[in-house]
Amino acid sequence: MALLEGTNLRKTYRMSRRASVEALRGVDVSIAAGEMVAIMGPSGSGKSTLMHLLGLLHAPDRNDGPPPGLRFDGVDATTLSDRERTQIRARSMGFVFQSFNLVPTLTAEENVGLAAEYAGTSRGAARAAAREALDSVGLADRSTHRPMELSGGEQQRVAIARALVNDPTIVLGDEPTGNLDSARAGEVLGILRTFNRERGQTVLLVTHDPEVGATCDRIIRMRDGVIVGDEGVMPVSAASHADGASLPGYRPGPAIAVEA
Amino acid sequence: MRLLRELSRRKLRTALTITGITIGIWALVVFSSMANKINDLVGQGTEFYTDKIIVTDGEAFGTSPMRLDDADAIADLDGVGAVDAQVQLLWEADGSGANFAVPNMVIGLIPGADAGYESFELELATGRALTTEDEGNVVVLGSSLAQEHGVSAGDSVEIRGETFEVLGTLQPTLTSPDTNGLVPLATAQQLYLDELPPLVAEAVVAEDVVNQIVVFPETGADIQAIAAEIEATVDNSATMTGLEFDENIGATTMIFNAIIIGVAAISLIVGGLSVINTMAMSVAERTREIGIKRAIGGSRGRIIRELVAEAGVIGMIGGLIGLGLGAIVVVLANEAGRASGTVLFDLTPLTAAFALGFSTILGMLAGIVPAWSAARLDPVSALRYE
Repeated sequence: MALLEGTNLRKTYRMSRRASVEALRGVDVSIAAGEMVAIMGPSGSGKSTLMHLLGLLHAPDRNDGPPPGLRFDGVDATTLSDRERTQIRARSMGFVFQSFNLVPTLTAEENVGLAAEYAGTSRGAARAAAREALDSVGLADRSTHRPMELSGGEQQRVAIARALVNDPTIVLGDEPTGNLDSARAGEVLGILRTFNRERGQTVLLVTHDPEVGATCDRIIRMRDGVIVGDEGVMPVSAASHADGASLPGYRPGPAIAVEA
Repeated sequence: MRLLRELSRRKLRTALTITGITIGIWALVVFSSMANKINDLVGQGTEFYTDKIIVTDGEAFGTSPMRLDDADAIADLDGVGAVDAQVQLLWEADGSGANFAVPNMVIGLIPGADAGYESFELELATGRALTTEDEGNVVVLGSSLAQEHGVSAGDSVEIRGETFEVLGTLQPTLTSPDTNGLVPLATAQQLYLDELPPLVAEAVVAEDVVNQIVVFPETGADIQAIAAEIEATVDNSATMTGLEFDENIGATTMIFNAIIIGVAAISLIVGGLSVINTMAMSVAERTREIGIKRAIGGSRGRIIRELVAEAGVIGMIGGLIGLGLGAIVVVLANEAGRASGTVLFDLTPLTAAFALGFSTILGMLAGIVPAWSAARLDPVSALRYE
């Protein structure tokens, strides 16, 4: 059964009284549990908007077309209140953003712990969970540092720890490697890949980086607000895997994509 | 604790807001303390003048003489329980003892003349009280006067160039008896006579002079009616009852209180606006952070609670500092003024608690609107906000 299923997803942003942007023009999409999926496309293709709808950050438009459908984990998400959607985001979803988006006044541990508290964990337990999550991304020794005292790669790993602290069903990343050099990007992707493989967490990444796409199981391609391609990624050969052997789970170099 | 750490990491802005609140609360504490003291004095006055009628010469309040005969005439009126004829004069002949608070006075009286009607009790700190046998230069000093001259029973003190033996000193009452020196009536009459211009002095007999008669009506008597009768009986007399005291002094005090509280209120409005401003700026500055929190599952209620708590803590810290600074000013000013008898402030626990509670609530109220608008932000657009 699909973990996330969207039908007739449309979203129009009104920029002013006259101008509006049709970001999504009717998209049907289905993400299976345990998949690691990349949504790719040029700027303005609607890939981020699709992720915002699937991440329950925005609701799909209801007018001007067939009624939209959005189910997450068997729940009809189109009828949920803001409070209910917030609670699903807190407990079952993890978010990673391009610009890390850590709270600047909080330490790494507090940033991660905050997500656990939002999910209903007591403060003490949240701290313990935060330390464990930081340990799992290799940042146990950075827990008392504040974001400005951390490198970009470290900040993004804190953000991943924050996304993973509640052991979510799905992790959504909006250009999670966009602000990182390729080595740091490799680390970040490696961590996501490892969690996907070892804990079965579904991962959905928005990216325009082909190397990120190549790390995933499946690539959804978008252009002008519609899906123009949906393909599986073929497992890479042992030879090309050797190129990135030092980065577990991350396979740089040309990936062979086939039409699904 | 995390909240305090967060505030400490935004030092400059937090400090500026706290300063705004601090000034407001400081003003509130100082001015309220002043109002407390004044209300206290008036309250004591009201208590002192309740159930008695003060009779003075109508031409000049308390300075030109009446006669002991007048006191006898009043005592004969219906409803009058006791009559206490006195001579009151300033401690210093040149009036230099007068100041903003209560002036130092010498009061000549016949001990026990109130016949038990006086409800305002004086207690001795040292020595003994005046008796009808006392005569000549003997005095019982109020607590402030005793402290000012550094004397107790058995010492001597100088009044208008003459040496007086201190028979006793009184416990503090926080009102006028503290600055009174009680002497036998005859002694005060002589001092009073010495002060009059020679022409006036020739016309009066020392033993006959009084300038204030305290009349104690019988219980249940109509005080206003007796006062009217006294004015009709004694030529050129003026009476003041507790009711009139409240009307005259009370009205003045109310205006004074209104001014004081007005000043403090303006300071607080300014302080409150400064919290609103800071919180609004803080929210704008943290739009992105609020977006993050909303995106990762922070509910609207939680965002509001966090921001309102933050504003409340800012208000409370400002209140604490304002209260502390206000208390320092009050203590120092009272300490400096004590020597001259000018104790102007009274910082009560109620005032302190009010100031602290008020600043906290003010901070929280000021934080509600910015917090509400922050919580309503769309997480996606908040995240894009630069």
